[in-house]
Amino acid sequence: MRIVCPFCGERELGEFTYLGDAKPVRPAADAGEDAVYDYVYLRDNIAGVMSENWYHGGGCRAWLKVTRNTLTHEISAVEPAAGAGAAKVGA
Amino acid sequence: MAEFSWDVRSPLDRALLAGPYGAHGDAGVTLTEIRNFDLVQVMARRGKAVDMATVAKTRFGVAAPETPKAVHTADATLIWSGPDQFFILAKNGKHAMDWLVPTFAASGSLSEQSHARALISISGAKARAMLAKLSSIDLHPGAFAVGAAAATSMDHTSVTLWRGNDRDGQAVLNVLVFATFAESLWHTMLDSAAEYGVAIAHSEELT
Repeated sequence: MRIVCPFCGERELGEFTYLGDAKPVRPAADAGEDAVYDYVYLRDNIAGVMSENWYHGGGCRAWLKVTRNTLTHEISAVEPAAGAGAAKVGA
Repeated sequence: MAEFSWDVRSPLDRALLAGPYGAHGDAGVTLTEIRNFDLVQVMARRGKAVDMATVAKTRFGVAAPETPKAVHTADATLIWSGPDQFFILAKNGKHAMDWLVPTFAASGSLSEQSHARALISISGAKARAMLAKLSSIDLHPGAFAVGAAAATSMDHTSVTLWRGNDRDGQAVLNVLVFATFAESLWHTMLDSAAEYGVAIAHSEELT
């Protein structure tokens, strides 16, 4: 498997670390216990296209949001995660 | 009281033995460690990437690389190291921290790396064959031209790799590696290059 890093270009899997589902969003402070429990522990086990966080630690050290089909490993999109590269944040 | 020695030494001081290594005959690979360089990493502060690029261009006369490239200025090399960050490689203190701090005070965070990295220069007819064992980057001259750079890994070790100006008609590939990993990577390079014959040297000055 290879991932096309938006900063470095196409690289082998060994340069990347998988973090997991990119979908969960931290709930608001007053969202309640159930929402926090869901955010911390509950994950969908998706057979198909999902959005994932990957870290290019063996390269430019940017966090990436990868859209990958878990059945075929086909990657349909790679974009910088929020905060990757100072220019992308509050420029 | 214990005596301490604070002599500045290369991280490859113990491992590097100048001379021939591996297969006999003409050396296919030349490995040269370059010492006594100044290296500073510049990273744009949040939302200040444009400001950082502007002051870098004013100081160096050329734009700092915004894609994986290495650019030469009159007295420094600017090497891309990640989004909105780059290395300044120079010598003789011309671009040492004291001089850079006022320049980047409002736009970039500086990190002194002179003694935190080892710099290894690789050339020779078999340099690409030897690096093919260590790197997944396509180093064919058509794919990795003079001035191309990459933040990548060799033998699970993060390195900054770039192609310098050709010497004697041959490609020169430079590797910056963390000082504490330098000895390990050096031995791996020697193992990879042994079958081609290696000429080992070190240079006391960045050229």
